[in-house]
Amino acid sequence: VSWAADPAVISPQDPTLLIGSSLVATCTVSPDFHLKAEDLYWTLNGRRLPATSYSTLGPTTLSVALTHLNGSKQQSGDNLVCHSRDGGILAGSCLYVGLPPEKPVNITCWSKNMKDLTCKWAPGTEGETFLHTNYTLKYKLRWYGRDNTCQEYHTAGPYSCHIPKDLALFTPYEIWVEASNRLGVAVSDVIMLDILDVVTTDPPSDVHVSRVGDLEDQLSVRWSSPLALKDFLFQAKYQIQYRVEDSSEWKVVDDVGNQTSCRLAGLRPGTVYFVQVRCNPFGIYGSKKAGIWSDWSNPTAASTPRSERAAGGCDPKGGEQNTTLRRELKQFFGWVKKHAYGCSNLGIKLYDQWRVWLQKSHKTRNQV
Amino acid sequence: GDSWGIFTFLCAALCNLPALPALNCTEELGTSQSIQKTYDLTRYLEHQLRTLAGTYLNYLGPPFNEPDFNPPRLARAERVPSATVDLDLWRGLTDNARLAANYRAYSRLLCYLRALDGQAATAELRHRLGHFCSSLQALVLSIAGVMSSLGYPLPVGPSAPPGTPVAPNDFLKKMDDFWLLKELQTWLWRSAKDFNRLKKKVPPAVVTLRLEARGF
Repeated sequence: VSWAADPAVISPQDPTLLIGSSLVATCTVSPDFHLKAEDLYWTLNGRRLPATSYSTLGPTTLSVALTHLNGSKQQSGDNLVCHSRDGGILAGSCLYVGLPPEKPVNITCWSKNMKDLTCKWAPGTEGETFLHTNYTLKYKLRWYGRDNTCQEYHTAGPYSCHIPKDLALFTPYEIWVEASNRLGVAVSDVIMLDILDVVTTDPPSDVHVSRVGDLEDQLSVRWSSPLALKDFLFQAKYQIQYRVEDSSEWKVVDDVGNQTSCRLAGLRPGTVYFVQVRCNPFGIYGSKKAGIWSDWSNPTAASTPRSERAAGGCDPKGGEQNTTLRRELKQFFGWVKKHAYGCSNLGIKLYDQWRVWLQKSHKTRNQV
Repeated sequence: GDSWGIFTFLCAALCNLPALPALNCTEELGTSQSIQKTYDLTRYLEHQLRTLAGTYLNYLGPPFNEPDFNPPRLARAERVPSATVDLDLWRGLTDNARLAANYRAYSRLLCYLRALDGQAATAELRHRLGHFCSSLQALVLSIAGVMSSLGYPLPVGPSAPPGTPVAPNDFLKKMDDFWLLKELQTWLWRSAKDFNRLKKKVPPAVVTLRLEARGF
């Protein structure tokens, strides 16, 4: 198929340019179309370019001068189009304006249960998004020759890659990322790591939170160590975090060590707590480094008991604990009635109603 | 006795495989439902295409994503037979020809869309294109099912004609992509009408198990 039938030809066709550079493009109409240079105009990304930037180079050739080009509006290229007077499209050229990539940085990796390796990195600059930039993660065993290329990208965000198998333990890996686009290539620094030093695992399973007898200020937390690592020698470290139902502030218990149970103390009676546990496979196969903390387990809820005497005190009709309080309140309301106008509804009856409401709302919250 | 039951069951099971030519035990209940299903699929695809086209045209950038964009179709070989057809011609199509035109068009369109997916630069586009291609594949199979349940042979031949020219520059490629999406849209509009017409011709819910009762 010949292309001579195209109405016009643009030069340069699909150029790649640095941000800030200038460009002179020409549009030459095919003789079959009987159009002259004055019948033409240019648009860039749909916007008409000013006639002051045009120049007639011949009877059928019109040029346009573009200066200080900004980065491309879309990664598929800016659309520079040559039109005939009635708006018809004669030809187009895609301009790729951007920056060469910079060295990717901050390569961090982790291995789930020593079975795989996931790495993520950050692009060197933001400017790399004008052009499509391709990232390739490469790795090789130190002291052994072959480079390997990671195949599964975007598993943990846009700048990540997953190596699912054939990983060796006990020998360090060299890992680096290559970035390339139309304007150039950049290679990150090489990081060295041993799979055993970046192991993470699943959160502990079977997290159970229960009361400690009648103790109002304690809860007992029990869990199982992650199944995937049960055959490997490691001294897991655990961390617990807990919070009161209504609060968003987590309290962290850090020194849990290697046990699979822990007692939380100093808690509020009659309150619902949410508890989560996570695991760090510290010291796998004798590694001296800490591993990587797993995700937190799904929150487990439990409530501390409220002692019987206190429960009785919620009953407005009885309970010795609150009689002093009630007496004082009664006196206060009497005084208010005498001295403050418009507070006639305030009275001990209203206070009793409030206590009943409080008890009801506590009951529904404890049912979580 | 038992043989009759087994034979009936086998017949019913085999008749539901779209790849086989219709056997003597045709269930017309199945055909009517297949046509309805195919119609529903074209409406669903039409809906999906709106989002896909919007995303893709934004990726191509202005003027491709402008609502009034109407470029000339430059002198290039048409990749897919046009959906646009003379009204009388369309009315006069036999059921077989109608179905075959749909089958051929979508087989080719699927091929070109898959090629698009291979080049798509952003993860979002790849995801949307992948999803759309799966649905389009289902439509092709559904049409094949209707054809075989009515006893028509599937059109043979390569799904993409050999020697289809690749656009010589990036701008013309963008134009090709634009027209591909437009052609897809037009075909989906037309198919809804095609299947609506076919629906009216095949009586619904008539279970005619025509079995050759030999030796039973």
